[in-house]
Amino acid sequence: MLAERNMIKKLAAALACGAATFATTVALQAANAPTGGVPGTRAFVLNGLYIGGGGDPKGCQAQSPGNFDVYLAMLPPDKRAELSPPGKRGELQKQMWKHFGFRRMRLWPGDFGGRAETAKLPNDVQLHVKPTPEQIRAIAELNGFPKDRGSLAYMDQTIAYSSCTNPYDFPELAKGYVPYEGKFSTGMNLDGKAGSQSFTSPDGEKGVDNQLWRAVGCYKQQQEMNDPALQEKVMLSARSPTLIEVSGIDDPHNDPDVTVRVLTGADPLVRDGAGKPLARASFSLDPDPTLVNVMHGRIVDGVLTTDPADIRFVFREQIIDNLRVVRGAVIRASFRPDGGLDGGLYGYTTLTSYYDMVEHMTQDGADNVGVSCVGIRQAIDRFADGYRDRATGKFTAISSEMRFLAVPAFVVGAAASAGAQSQGTMR
Amino acid sequence: MSGKLSRLALAVAAGLAGFGMVGSTTSFGGPSLSAPQPTVRRLTEAQYRAAIAEAFGPGIEVVGRFEPDMRVGGLAAVGASAVSITPAGFEQYDAIARHIAEQVFAEDHRAELVGCAPGSEDPDGARCAASFVTRAGLRLYRRPLSESQVRGAVARTIAGAQKLGGFDAGLQAVLVGMLTSPDFLFRIDVPARAGARDAIDSYSKATRLSFLLWNAPPDDALLAAAASNSLDTPEGLRTQVDRMIASPRFTEGVRAFFDDFLQLRDIDNLSKDALIYPAFSTTVAAAAREQTLRTITDLLVDNKGDYRDLFTTRRFAMTRALGPIYNVPVTASGWSIYEFPEGDPRIGLLTQASLLALHSHPGRTSPTLRGKSIRETLLCQEISPPPANVNFAVVQDVNNTTLKTTRQRLEAHLSDEECASCHKATDGLGLSLEQFDGAGSFRSTEHDEPIDVSGKFDKVPFSGVAALGQLFHDSPKVSQCLVSTVWRYANGRTVEVSDRPELDTLNASFAANGHRFVDLMRTIALDPRFYLMPRVPLAPSVVAADPQPSRRGRS
Repeated sequence: MLAERNMIKKLAAALACGAATFATTVALQAANAPTGGVPGTRAFVLNGLYIGGGGDPKGCQAQSPGNFDVYLAMLPPDKRAELSPPGKRGELQKQMWKHFGFRRMRLWPGDFGGRAETAKLPNDVQLHVKPTPEQIRAIAELNGFPKDRGSLAYMDQTIAYSSCTNPYDFPELAKGYVPYEGKFSTGMNLDGKAGSQSFTSPDGEKGVDNQLWRAVGCYKQQQEMNDPALQEKVMLSARSPTLIEVSGIDDPHNDPDVTVRVLTGADPLVRDGAGKPLARASFSLDPDPTLVNVMHGRIVDGVLTTDPADIRFVFREQIIDNLRVVRGAVIRASFRPDGGLDGGLYGYTTLTSYYDMVEHMTQDGADNVGVSCVGIRQAIDRFADGYRDRATGKFTAISSEMRFLAVPAFVVGAAASAGAQSQGTMR
Repeated sequence: MSGKLSRLALAVAAGLAGFGMVGSTTSFGGPSLSAPQPTVRRLTEAQYRAAIAEAFGPGIEVVGRFEPDMRVGGLAAVGASAVSITPAGFEQYDAIARHIAEQVFAEDHRAELVGCAPGSEDPDGARCAASFVTRAGLRLYRRPLSESQVRGAVARTIAGAQKLGGFDAGLQAVLVGMLTSPDFLFRIDVPARAGARDAIDSYSKATRLSFLLWNAPPDDALLAAAASNSLDTPEGLRTQVDRMIASPRFTEGVRAFFDDFLQLRDIDNLSKDALIYPAFSTTVAAAAREQTLRTITDLLVDNKGDYRDLFTTRRFAMTRALGPIYNVPVTASGWSIYEFPEGDPRIGLLTQASLLALHSHPGRTSPTLRGKSIRETLLCQEISPPPANVNFAVVQDVNNTTLKTTRQRLEAHLSDEECASCHKATDGLGLSLEQFDGAGSFRSTEHDEPIDVSGKFDKVPFSGVAALGQLFHDSPKVSQCLVSTVWRYANGRTVEVSDRPELDTLNASFAANGHRFVDLMRTIALDPRFYLMPRVPLAPSVVAADPQPSRRGRS
């Protein structure tokens, strides 16, 4: 039990810092009881949406090192011995930041920004108003940041320069990075091909595309997160849960034509008395219309599968506020007997949106979680395999699997399914 | 402390015996009746809070634990006539009073609530004290203080100021005394100086009327009507009754009645096994209580509806917290009305989570508790408690692989003839609600077995709660029970044989007016008999609304 609690704590800490995984909640609309909901529509709220993959115990030759591991390895033996004890983490971080020249300054006087000093501001910058890109450059210059460096961080409360804001400035911190090189991985064959970089799924499906797991699957935090039993106990991005709504269901076991919407809730997901996500709660939707994703799908023997579509959703957890974009996304999920939904979201996660999440965790978060922004950035650029940019010839997205667990929910409000009418009536 | 308590006890006793009427008797051809007796009713917690808000405004907090109310015949309003104040309870009242007085004299309230101070023209503050005591006394005692009362309070203020180190401290102590006075804590009838022997004075009338319709003390207009004796005239009384029923505060009065009638306050102490009913929580429990009260006032007050429709209504007040229990989408972030469609099993009060959860065990339903509650509360029938040596093993074995449903387990339990005699009265009604689990959520099966919801009410077979609701709607027993209960609530006492003619009249009036609850309240409020001191039988002769042999039930 204690180990489990520790695991959950570590997991929460990892996510708080945006460790190389994300989780959201998905919801379909309307429940399956005689009393409520829209006929032929079922909705779910996701309590966990996490990067899936792996399955080959020999897939990682070692675990990818975090920033502290890399920096300690750079030190002479006596210094390494001095700074290695956990109680020396503060001093270790201080010396590491000094060594690499990381900067962090709070923009506004106040509590935000931790121990950072407050930046001097140009006259045209108003307090607590997000600076423009030009103003950010001016602030950086005024405060002695390296030329053309300095980015907003920590919920736009600080200006920073680090291996997370500018990963390619610090290649040393990718030293020792380990990719996942197993033969097997969960996921989906997204391109219909079985190339040299493809995996074989545990049940024998060839051509599985899951390069994101190849990129990040050997980070310890990622491996810990990839655990359905653990995911049942956690709720992440609970203040903006992801919802999945399936409508037009004539037969819940086999229906060739259903509409699936991936939505972002504006109401928080809460726990029930048993500590699990509260089922059959009602969720209003985020007013941003670009977060309404409509897909076409089918149900075969109780398994829902959609056609590919580009989708956008958000992951908001503590300091992370990340818009995630998955291109050519496919949902494949099973309706559970208890009314829930269990499955995965497969597709090409754009590098920009994925790294935005990584960057949001900040240098401080990456240090403490045990990952390397540099290692992740280099890896996803290296293993990217989808949606090539015609101008640069580089891939802009990476194949991925995001697994989820979901409980029944209701989607309500003006943005609920067009034409959908609950059997009951609100007056 | 003990001195104050003794004075309180003496004062309460004086309220009862000081008029020298207890003991004299009269007879109307039936059982011997006592002389008219002033009623003495302790304020409930809700009434206490309303009284403080009325006297000092909503900015004054009432913090503390009150002595629990006692129910007599299922009503705290009747129990309020039978309870006194224990030494421990008085300590609580004293502590609450001190906290209130501190707030009244605190810097942020003093100017508004006290409004004066000693000065060159009032060096010892006597005038200021008299002004404050007169104003506060009218509010707290619900009648003007006599000149001697004011003089005494002023004298105590001045004496207290010397001992306690200042005018405010002295006046504050006097306020604490007022707040712990029986004149405040109890509603004590004062006989009228003229007129019938059983008549009460105008301020007593105003108090009865106000607590009936608003569950709060009289406001300025009602006190003014009492002062002018206009309540003694039918026109004057009607004017005030119409005004009070038209007021939004009438809704509070109706809520107070149904909260007492349905014993909804017990929800505050309700807990469920979180592993069995994970969607249930204290938040849900509070919302369920509120839902029932809002559903009732929506139908009976806002829409001036037929009381009987409460058993067939599909309009439920709804809020987000209850959505998971009812398995419905809830659009509004606050309260709204949700209308269940035709054919839906949710219909009427009997299917609301408050009553379903309240009369269930923490981890399972209880057709017996549900049936007992329905019999006792909605039908005014009496069910005796079970004997002490009942074996509940079969009923409680919810995982019995042979007896999968509650009905099957209860039927096995009823093989004991002694148990069967009582359970026949309760379980038939309770089993019709078995499609709602112990938290009030719908279910169609229990351990994969379809749930049988058939039963009999008044020898009429039915299936399902919708049919039962219709039978309740059409049953005179149900509406007569309400009339009887409202009457007991209004008068603060049980029904006696001598009260039967009045109840018969009320029942006829209620039916003739389309079973409109508002009209029932109005009829009682306008009835001169409501303002008389009761004459009670010298030998017990309590009349139940529907006399039936006592039955037992607990499973």
